[in-house]
Amino acid sequence: MAKRNTAIALLASAVVMTAVSAAAIAQSGRDYIYIVGSSTVYPFATVVAERFGRGTDFKTPKVESTGSGGGLKLFCDGIGVDHPDITNSSRAIKQSEVDTCASKGVTDIVEVKIGYDGIVIANAIDATAVNLSRADIFRALAKMVPGESDGDLIENPYKTWADVNPELPNVRIEVLGPPPTSGTRDAFVELAMEGGCKSIPWVKALEDTDKDGYKSICHTIREDGAFVEAGENDNLIVQKLQANPTAFGIFGFSFLDQNSETVKGARVDGVAPTFDAIADGDYPVSRPLYFYVKKAHVDVIPGLRGFLREFTSERAWGDEGYLSDRGLIPMPQEERSEIAANVRDLTPLSMARQ
Amino acid sequence: MESSQITRRKVEAGLPRRRRREFLFQLAGMLATTVGIVFLGVFFADLFVKSSTAFVQTFVKLDVEFTENVIAPGGEWDLTYADFDGLVRSALRSEFPGVSGRSERRELNRLVSVGAGYQMRDMIEADPKLLGARESLWVPASSIVDMYIKGNIDASLEESLRPLSDKQLSWIQKLQDSGRLETRFNSALFSNGDSREPELAGIKGALMGSFYMLIVTVLLAFPIGVAAAIYLEEFAPRNRWSDLIEVNINNLAAVPSIVFGLLGLAVFINWMAIPRSAPLVGGLVLSLLTLPVIIIASRAAIKAVPPSIREAALGLGASKMQVVFHHVMPLALPGMLTGTIIGMSRALGESAPLLMIGMVAFIVDVPGGFSDPATALPVQIYLWADSPERAFAERTSAAIVVLLGFLLLMNLTAVIIRKRMEKKW
Amino acid sequence: MQSTTLILILAAMSVVAFYAGRRRSVALVGGPRQGSVLHSLPGYYGYFTAIWLLLPALGVLLLWLFLEPTVIVALVVRGLPETYQSLSAGELNLFVNNVQNLAAGDAISGESDAVLSDAAARFLAYTATSRRLLATLALGLGGLGGTIAWRRIRPDLRARNRVEQIILLGLIAASSIAIFTTIGIVLSVLFEAIRFFQKVPVTEFLFGLNWSPQTAIRADQVGSSGSFGAVPLFTGTLLITGIAMFVAVPVGLMTAIFLAEYSSQRIRDVAKPLLEVLAGIPTVVYGFFAALTVAPWVRRAGESFGFDVASESALAAGLVMGIMIIPLVSSLADDAINAVPVAMRDGALGLGSTRSETMTRVILPAALPGIVGGILLAVSRAIGETMIVVMAAGLAANLTANPFAAVTTVTVQIVTLLVGDQEFDSAKTLAAFALGLMLFVVTLCLNVVGLHVVRKYREQYD
Repeated sequence: MAKRNTAIALLASAVVMTAVSAAAIAQSGRDYIYIVGSSTVYPFATVVAERFGRGTDFKTPKVESTGSGGGLKLFCDGIGVDHPDITNSSRAIKQSEVDTCASKGVTDIVEVKIGYDGIVIANAIDATAVNLSRADIFRALAKMVPGESDGDLIENPYKTWADVNPELPNVRIEVLGPPPTSGTRDAFVELAMEGGCKSIPWVKALEDTDKDGYKSICHTIREDGAFVEAGENDNLIVQKLQANPTAFGIFGFSFLDQNSETVKGARVDGVAPTFDAIADGDYPVSRPLYFYVKKAHVDVIPGLRGFLREFTSERAWGDEGYLSDRGLIPMPQEERSEIAANVRDLTPLSMARQ
Repeated sequence: MESSQITRRKVEAGLPRRRRREFLFQLAGMLATTVGIVFLGVFFADLFVKSSTAFVQTFVKLDVEFTENVIAPGGEWDLTYADFDGLVRSALRSEFPGVSGRSERRELNRLVSVGAGYQMRDMIEADPKLLGARESLWVPASSIVDMYIKGNIDASLEESLRPLSDKQLSWIQKLQDSGRLETRFNSALFSNGDSREPELAGIKGALMGSFYMLIVTVLLAFPIGVAAAIYLEEFAPRNRWSDLIEVNINNLAAVPSIVFGLLGLAVFINWMAIPRSAPLVGGLVLSLLTLPVIIIASRAAIKAVPPSIREAALGLGASKMQVVFHHVMPLALPGMLTGTIIGMSRALGESAPLLMIGMVAFIVDVPGGFSDPATALPVQIYLWADSPERAFAERTSAAIVVLLGFLLLMNLTAVIIRKRMEKKW
Repeated sequence: MQSTTLILILAAMSVVAFYAGRRRSVALVGGPRQGSVLHSLPGYYGYFTAIWLLLPALGVLLLWLFLEPTVIVALVVRGLPETYQSLSAGELNLFVNNVQNLAAGDAISGESDAVLSDAAARFLAYTATSRRLLATLALGLGGLGGTIAWRRIRPDLRARNRVEQIILLGLIAASSIAIFTTIGIVLSVLFEAIRFFQKVPVTEFLFGLNWSPQTAIRADQVGSSGSFGAVPLFTGTLLITGIAMFVAVPVGLMTAIFLAEYSSQRIRDVAKPLLEVLAGIPTVVYGFFAALTVAPWVRRAGESFGFDVASESALAAGLVMGIMIIPLVSSLADDAINAVPVAMRDGALGLGSTRSETMTRVILPAALPGIVGGILLAVSRAIGETMIVVMAAGLAANLTANPFAAVTTVTVQIVTLLVGDQEFDSAKTLAAFALGLMLFVVTLCLNVVGLHVVRKYREQYD
């Protein structure tokens, strides 16, 4: 009997392999929402996605964390099912990105501001608490710092925090921060670094005369090892801080909020990063968070409109919404209803307002 | 006489030293063997201690009301956008009437998992008659409460250093005293997909993903592997081409698995445009990965069939093909099956190539087919191990225990097949 | 008709064909008693018929399913109103997706307008027609092939040879897959690597001392300069591999010696399978253990001795990796030791040497090539190991030989460069493939040499 069995097995395997390849070939349209973008917005987007998936008959959106810049790049690559429907961003879209988008046929983009997030400079919970000014941050992390006389730039000579400001602890400067694909990086550079940079009068004067020079002084981060690019994974930074008490990390307030038993935020310009301080605008390094939607995809990708409604509903982004439990700082009531109305009407973004 | 005594004395003088060396050498061997076994012991002990708490979950009893004007305002049902969380919150508030103020209410709400809202939604969807009713429900507590009950949060720490505030602790105490807090078997771990909330996260999605992948792998790798082994062992002429195939297979067995991931990314995803994150791609990559293992094991099994069997069959007039398929293969089949199962268990534990083909994403839905986005059990372990929430650490260990359980089962099957069916010649 | 139903029907038909063919062959020669007149056994005529039924039908089926989506979409698009024809490719693609979703009965968002529902209806109609055509064609072709084969059955038809030839072809095809896999690996890695080397010179990649693959991604952004010197990755990989070998080689070797020479059969029966368990634990589990248990322990131990230990020290990853490799080293060493003829061992013992002397002076030197080959294979395994280092080693590309510092490896960088980010034109993503190429080439060399030495040595005393 063995002989028949083996031969039948051979035939059967041929049939089976055909069936598998047939399954490989058979493809249908995409019936789920595809989201990319900022790792800061990722925790909020996944929570909304999960709620949306569980609460409706639509599939749960697929969310990938690629960084704001990376996300916008994928987003702007074109319209169609192969490209993401939504990209999260921890900064506003730039004109250059709008242009790239337009050149690939992505024209009607709806901007949705979802709330605020502070950027914190944190260290391990058992490490020394510090009070940094934005000028300290600039002097500790810039590639070139002003020398003795005006207009003079020198390679950043500071090795320890005490070199920067004698009141700070005498430990080596080691800051784990996000890479250029990250919106947190952009926002940090614009708010903290540039803010500190402006405190030097002659550099501030440069802003009007030599915009590019000003930018390259204020925005360039040192590359000699004091600033470590730690990738897009904010969790990883939190874990590293826990292990290394002299290091600082740069990430969003929501991560601080979720990990308050392991890390603590430094005061910046005397203000501690708390929910209320960021909501009131007292904390100097805070930025709005956004996501961007392709208008062309709405009503085409199943559930996209519902997802937008869920994200902009009071129970999500409201004062007591579940996103605020995750550390998102809500916008004022009027702003929320205005944006929610925009989203309902799908009012596209116009760069003219900027 | 004289010289032999000198020799003897020399030898005897050296003996203690040599014996000592012998002893030390043996000791070193013993130590080395113990190192591996001790590690194994420490590893399993660590794993079981860490995972033991993940199989239970804390539940809170709440008296909820399926309020009509929330679920069906104006008589019109709206399950999608009805605020079930609000119903849970008001149930909590009626439990603790003294709580007021925004931040205090937020703290109170954090005691109960968002799963409570989903649970209410599912209940009323299954039984619309519940509308307007009041029910006593056991709903999952949030992960911080769960961690506290399991003793993972130290209440003696300063308030700012722990995730639970003094008020929350007193509420938990009150719930405990009134019998409204209970630990039960954590069925969510086995019936849910991934979730952002540790108390709702489960491994079912990952298990199904792994299952679909292994189906594809076994369907492709077993027939192809056995066929290749038969050809190489029984039919291949001794020439350059066979040598090349032979060297190739041995090398492929030792190529780092991540390289197979690069292959999958470039060929299956970028070139053949199969969707990312699909179990199909994972299965294809894993079948290429396990193919050499199966081929090598099957060849060994074929080799173990004594030549006398072949010669006897040939002598009775069977063709080469008949010899192989009627006599050699049935005898070698147990060995081939064993090899396949071992290859499958390697595929089940593999994660590096899956990272390359997009199977590392946050996927809540349990995949229902070969092209749905999915993740795999080892990848889920990797994702959870990276999550900051403490409650995920114990779930990671639990997922590892499940994974190791499956591997053990597969290897036991292989051993049993070998013991039961293999013939000794 | 569903393709799976079709395949099932074909399978059923082939079973029928098998019996029909067998029957005819028997009938042709006038009953089963006359079987010896047939060239082959009756069953082979059955297989002959079944194969000719199945092969053409399955071939057509696959080809059809492969082309079907493209053709149907093109047909649907051609039937759209003028305004839709002029849409851009992306918008058209979206529209077609909507049509497909609507046709599949999936939830779609928004109202379906007349054009859409019309297109979906036509999509369904085309699909149905296509499936009907396919079913007719496949079944017809299968029936035709089966019938022709059936009619060609003569007592002198060399059915067995025909069938065996086809099976042999199948076997050859299966065994060539290994070659295609290797070619596939080389090509897929090579092309992207070449594109990388067009952007970054080979010399900079191989000899550059600075690894920082994060480049600015917009024209108006001030990012880091981005450098692709892979030397820190190579040294990091070597450091971790070195630590792993430092654990695995002595422990594995001594384990093999102990189990082969000293231990009782009882201990061997217990210890060997236990060590094999080590080899069967998935690497992601080792990674979890390394990151959450061993790394903090190494850090505490180091600090109590006054060392400054990074939280993701090379030591923790290396130690765990070493443990993982112990079974590999010990089983290969065991093979090599057992391959040494018993006569050599007995001779040494007979001359009065102790067991350790026999081992170190006679057996190990004789087994050395085999052991070295085994170690090379273990090194290759350590270099290519991914999950342990991804989870327990860092991302910081430090050029250091200090085992307490954090280093990164080639495999870690491949993973970080490729996870999440999917644009295939930046040097950053392409760098992963260049690293993959390096990894493949290096492990290939180690494997070829290691396997060659092991094999050659095994045959030496046979």
